[in-house]
Amino acid sequence: MADSTEKNSKKQKRTKAKTVESTFLSKTSKPEKKGRMKMKGKRKGRDNDQRKRRGGGPRLPNVLRQELGLDVKRNSSSESDSEGGEDVRDFYELDEEVAQEESGKNRRFDEVENYQYELPDDFEDEEVPSDEGEDDSDKSEVEDEREKEDGERHLRMLQDITGIPKEAFDGEKKKREEVLLSQADVRSEIVTIHDLLVPLQGMPGYSSLRKRVLQQEKQPMTLQAPLPKSERDKVQRKVSDKFARKEITKWEGVVKRNREAPTLFFEQDQNLGYSTVGAIASGFEPRTEFEKQMAQLRQDPELVEAYKNDGAKMLELNKVSVKDVIDRQNRLAKMRSLLFRHEMKAKRIKKIKSKTYHKIKKKERQKAASAELEMNPEAAKQQAIKQEQKRAEERLTLKHKNSSKWAKRILKRGLDVQDDATRAAIAEQLQKHEELKRKMNSMNNNESSTDEESSDDDDEEEDESKRALKALNKAKEKTAKVLEEGDEAPKKGLFALPFMERGLKKRQEEAYEEARQALEDYDATLNQLQDEGEEGEEETQQNSSAVKVTGKRTFGPAKKPVAQEYNKRKRLDDFGKDSDSEEEDGEFDEPVPQIIEDKNDKTEGVQLGTALLDEEQVMAQHAIFRNLDDMEKAVGPKTSYEVAIFAGDSFRKVRSDSGHSNKATTSSVIHTSKPSHETKETDQSYETDSDTEMVEGFLTTNLTTDQKPDYELPSQAELVRRVFAGDDVAAEFERDKLETLNEENPEPEKPALVPGWGQWTHVQKKKGLPDWMVREHEEKKRKRGEALKKRKDAKFDHVIISETINRKAEKLMATSLPFPFTSKEAYEGNMRMPIGPDFNPASALSALNRPEIIKKPGLIIQPIEYEEVDPDETNDQPKRIIQGAKPKQSSKEKSKKGKSSNKLVPKTLGQKVKST
Amino acid sequence: MGEKEESNEPQSLNPASNQEEGILDKLEKKAKKYLRGNKTNLKNLRDKKLKGQLEVREKIYGNAAKVAARAEEWLKPSEEGLLEPENPLERTYRIQQSSILPEVDVLSVSKAFDMKLPDLGPYTIRYLSNGRYMLLGGQKGHLAMIDVLKMDCIKEFQVKERVRDVVFLQNDQLFAVAQKKFTYVYNRHGTEIHCLKENQHPLKLEYLEKHFLLVGTNNFSQLHYQDISTGQVVANYRTGLGPTSVMCSNPYNSIISLGHSGGKLTMWKPTSGKPLITMLCHHGPITAVAYHPSGNLVATAGMDKKVKIWDLRKFESIHSIPGHAQTLDFSQKGLLALANGSRVQVWRDKGDQDFGLYMTHSIPKGYQVGTVKFRPYEDVLGLGHSMGFSSILIPGSGEPNFDSWVANPYETSKQRSKKEVRALLDKLPPESIMLDPGSIGMVRERQRKEKLTKREIEQQMVEAVVEVKSNVEIKNKTKGRNKPSKRAKRKQEEVFNAKKPFLEKQRETKEGPPQKKRRVLLEVAEDLPKSLQRFAKKKPM
Repeated sequence: MADSTEKNSKKQKRTKAKTVESTFLSKTSKPEKKGRMKMKGKRKGRDNDQRKRRGGGPRLPNVLRQELGLDVKRNSSSESDSEGGEDVRDFYELDEEVAQEESGKNRRFDEVENYQYELPDDFEDEEVPSDEGEDDSDKSEVEDEREKEDGERHLRMLQDITGIPKEAFDGEKKKREEVLLSQADVRSEIVTIHDLLVPLQGMPGYSSLRKRVLQQEKQPMTLQAPLPKSERDKVQRKVSDKFARKEITKWEGVVKRNREAPTLFFEQDQNLGYSTVGAIASGFEPRTEFEKQMAQLRQDPELVEAYKNDGAKMLELNKVSVKDVIDRQNRLAKMRSLLFRHEMKAKRIKKIKSKTYHKIKKKERQKAASAELEMNPEAAKQQAIKQEQKRAEERLTLKHKNSSKWAKRILKRGLDVQDDATRAAIAEQLQKHEELKRKMNSMNNNESSTDEESSDDDDEEEDESKRALKALNKAKEKTAKVLEEGDEAPKKGLFALPFMERGLKKRQEEAYEEARQALEDYDATLNQLQDEGEEGEEETQQNSSAVKVTGKRTFGPAKKPVAQEYNKRKRLDDFGKDSDSEEEDGEFDEPVPQIIEDKNDKTEGVQLGTALLDEEQVMAQHAIFRNLDDMEKAVGPKTSYEVAIFAGDSFRKVRSDSGHSNKATTSSVIHTSKPSHETKETDQSYETDSDTEMVEGFLTTNLTTDQKPDYELPSQAELVRRVFAGDDVAAEFERDKLETLNEENPEPEKPALVPGWGQWTHVQKKKGLPDWMVREHEEKKRKRGEALKKRKDAKFDHVIISETINRKAEKLMATSLPFPFTSKEAYEGNMRMPIGPDFNPASALSALNRPEIIKKPGLIIQPIEYEEVDPDETNDQPKRIIQGAKPKQSSKEKSKKGKSSNKLVPKTLGQKVKST
Repeated sequence: MGEKEESNEPQSLNPASNQEEGILDKLEKKAKKYLRGNKTNLKNLRDKKLKGQLEVREKIYGNAAKVAARAEEWLKPSEEGLLEPENPLERTYRIQQSSILPEVDVLSVSKAFDMKLPDLGPYTIRYLSNGRYMLLGGQKGHLAMIDVLKMDCIKEFQVKERVRDVVFLQNDQLFAVAQKKFTYVYNRHGTEIHCLKENQHPLKLEYLEKHFLLVGTNNFSQLHYQDISTGQVVANYRTGLGPTSVMCSNPYNSIISLGHSGGKLTMWKPTSGKPLITMLCHHGPITAVAYHPSGNLVATAGMDKKVKIWDLRKFESIHSIPGHAQTLDFSQKGLLALANGSRVQVWRDKGDQDFGLYMTHSIPKGYQVGTVKFRPYEDVLGLGHSMGFSSILIPGSGEPNFDSWVANPYETSKQRSKKEVRALLDKLPPESIMLDPGSIGMVRERQRKEKLTKREIEQQMVEAVVEVKSNVEIKNKTKGRNKPSKRAKRKQEEVFNAKKPFLEKQRETKEGPPQKKRRVLLEVAEDLPKSLQRFAKKKPM
């Protein structure tokens, strides 16, 4: 048995030696490596790294390997290996395949047993004489030599591996040889260990050997069947678990401490890298094609040069001659001085406080505006809108309707007492009001009136001559107006420029000339016509008087012409006649207030609207004064005051009231002054309102009702109240309390059946209410009693504490306990302490509000490192984890890499291997 | 600030070690105050992790309290002084103003003065919360704002109307005046800023600083809350107990108390139309109410010739002073001033809520004191009476240390404006006015008919499942029915049955009550007339 094993091992070695010889690797290298190394020679072009990365070296197909002379079945068992490795193959051996057991393919039997059975086989072999035997003997000689060689090598290998001197193994070998010899002697007998021991007698170590043998004999030697795989694995796991646990538990302390620490504070004294955008940009390297192209372009010396040159050219362009510069400076200086002068002028003008100046200025502006209106329809439209707005405002606020304090005061004193200026001012205000209040279509006074005129003309169907006269008049007026206006030159804008001004003047002069001629023409024709037309006028007057007469009977439309007539006349004739017209007005017996209002509007409108007629305005003001005066005389402030009081605060009432009175009295004076009267009344109603308030607030409180202060005798009623207030206070309170109790915990309803229910049998009636109802009622009662007892105010007679739930405040409370808390007590205890800066000193604040982890942005948290930790240590301070600085870290890395070099070999190491 | 008068020096004779111990003790005592309640009891807590966390938290709280206690030494350097009798027979209330004045410093002397304003009727007064400015409101329309620190009249004007009450709003820039018909708001220059027409015929005004609410009672026995930052009327409730001009706000929780003619004291908040608490305090009309700064004590004066001090925690009268009082006021340090006619009394808590007469003062006979008000941060009592105004010195009434974050008498205009903005940002909603503001943020008690949240349902489900799993007993069955797979199946069924109701609940909360499925009109149906659309068959898509 031993023989065969030896043989096997020898064969193995031989094959190895064969293959190994050609390589430069040491004998310890695995068969796998051989192939690889060979390949290296062939494929020198490939770089080393690639090969290293592959775990098992290059894999080639088996055919290729055979060609290369490599062993295909490298990994199979030694027996097959040895056969494959044999240079000369015998037919027998080819025919007679090695038994499965032998080849190790079928591992049904243990190898140990196999050896036992092998022995007799050997013997048989020796007994059978054959050709092979010669061969064998021949071979054996050669093999013996080789064996010796191999033995030596083997010894050397063993020595290398174990580090034990060669002699130890040598001795063993000798022993084995001796044993073999003895075996040969006693071939057929049963050999025991004792027999084997006999030749060793007297040799050193014999006794100990014998002892051991004896000991072993005493114990029955049975080999146990190996454990099943699962069991074996279990055991292995157990052991490995033990080790792993030990390894892991050592981390427990660190992890626990980190977990329990209220705050982890990561620190590192290394530079965190890029801090600015510039720093990042400086490290930019072009990578993509486009970027590279761009970079190339940017750094192209030619381009750079060109750019520089170009820049210089550009600068050259900037060069200007001294003269130009001086010119420019001069120009600028001039402009500046002009500007300055203009500014100064504007300032001076702005400072002027003279009313007349401003009046003139205003008029000029108005004229300009009107001129623009005529020229520009857009502007006219805007103006109209503006006017409409103003009108609405005026109608809302009645600002100019004698509602101001000043106006009220003057009216209170009486207008006739005032001097002319104030009267004028008042009138002007009223006028302004009317003007503003007037409707839109009557804004452009001239146009509307002319329209009316024309319509009038149509209505009246005048003869040709009259119409001509009218047209002439109109034309004349217009030309006159144009003439007057012609002087005006715009002071601003494009037309203010000198050359434009000049041009304008020229044109104006021409126009002026023309106009004058036209006027003369008109005058001439007018004179002609007037002679004819005097009769016509008389006629019209008669007409008007006729209308007046009819006015008594007819209403509405018939009156319109009258008013218009009146209007027209006023406008056409001189305004000294105004008083006459008034008188005429006075003759109306049955005026409808609307019409009168209308008329008044118109008079004022006429007087106001046109910028032409200054004198007219003044006259008109006079007229209105008269009106006002009359009014003052006719209806004194007292009556109006009374009216206001009786009518109450409401505006409308007063108005209607006044209208009514007007109708009743039919006094002409009142009619004429009606609108203004109305305003006055309303104003006064306001005034009186405020007056009474004042009186109530201040004077009366002082004088009449509230004169006595709190500390003097209280009033009778007060006294009575006080006296009886404390009468039955307790009882009242009790009643109140009962009420609230009933409200908050209502008494249960008395059980009752639906009327008529079950009453058709007397049985049910006798029984009364069903049991469950009674029970329920009692239960409810009991519950109510409990609730009442539970109330906070149950113990106090003199206190009612409301127990209604405050729904609105519910949102300020938590509905359930927030996550980590399991008890209300703990939560509320934790909440009791305010952590804000208003309640804590600054030094305690940070500890109260520290987050769980503090680290700088951009800092990389390194994996945890092992350190010894005292398990009982408790620390409330923030745990500082100081991560190593960079250089230290790199050294550590190196050492780690050195350890695990077979997986990831750094470049340098690989090169080293190559060089050896 | 506080005048130290006849107060004993701290014992300096003790040995140093003793002193140190004393200091430590004091520090501990102070720290306890800053701990704001007892430490939570963590022994019953099962969760170890939470326990650890809370322990750490408690420790941090303790440290913070200690730091605060230490800082107090610097932040509160002075103590209030009091009149203390030298021998047991001496009575502090015998000490007159005339004997106090020569003893105190010049600055304090200047604080005691009289203003004779005989024409415009009894005066009511108000101090700004930092004690710097004072408003004088004469009943006959005289209003004046005085800088009492610089003794400088800032604005004086006539409203020519009856003035019933004056009150400062957020700072000296605005003040509200209850006039004959409406409440008006004026600014510091006497310009009328607003006329609050919502509250007509106001009787008494009160301002809640943290909520920006102007509270007024009126002749129609209404209580009116108006937000002065937005102008909204927050609430307007009929008290149903008659018009009253007895009103006071609780400085602790901003609850408004009204005194009524029936002897009742009612407490109101803007979010409920019924009084929170109604107390029967007197057997006669209540004439005055005042709150202790702690908010626990309230003093009421009634026509039944009694002044009572109530403890609101027990709803019990802890002290009763015989006599009428037209007006009452508590000082910052808890002195109670009451005035009747021309006599003024000041009562002091001698410890354990035992009130004793501390000082008396009488103004010339015939003068009737209308209002008494302690000046904040000063030992001064202001008296508004029928002949003007006078201020007297009451040692120990004011808080000697002011917190410039709360109220700063020396505040600059910049500080003032900053504070105003801050106050506006920190403005509390009217709902936060409640009897116990400490309950804000706490867990509220669940009402009966309240829907559970999803999480709660889940939790309940888990509990139920655990219970079922632990308790369920599966009977051994015969033959093939007792296989482990069948047993497992049965167990699972049980678990599912336990889960079922909760799952349904969850679905309900998620989707609301189950709705009817909507009939989806098919495209085919669209061609049909509308009346026939409902008969169109659904085709499987």
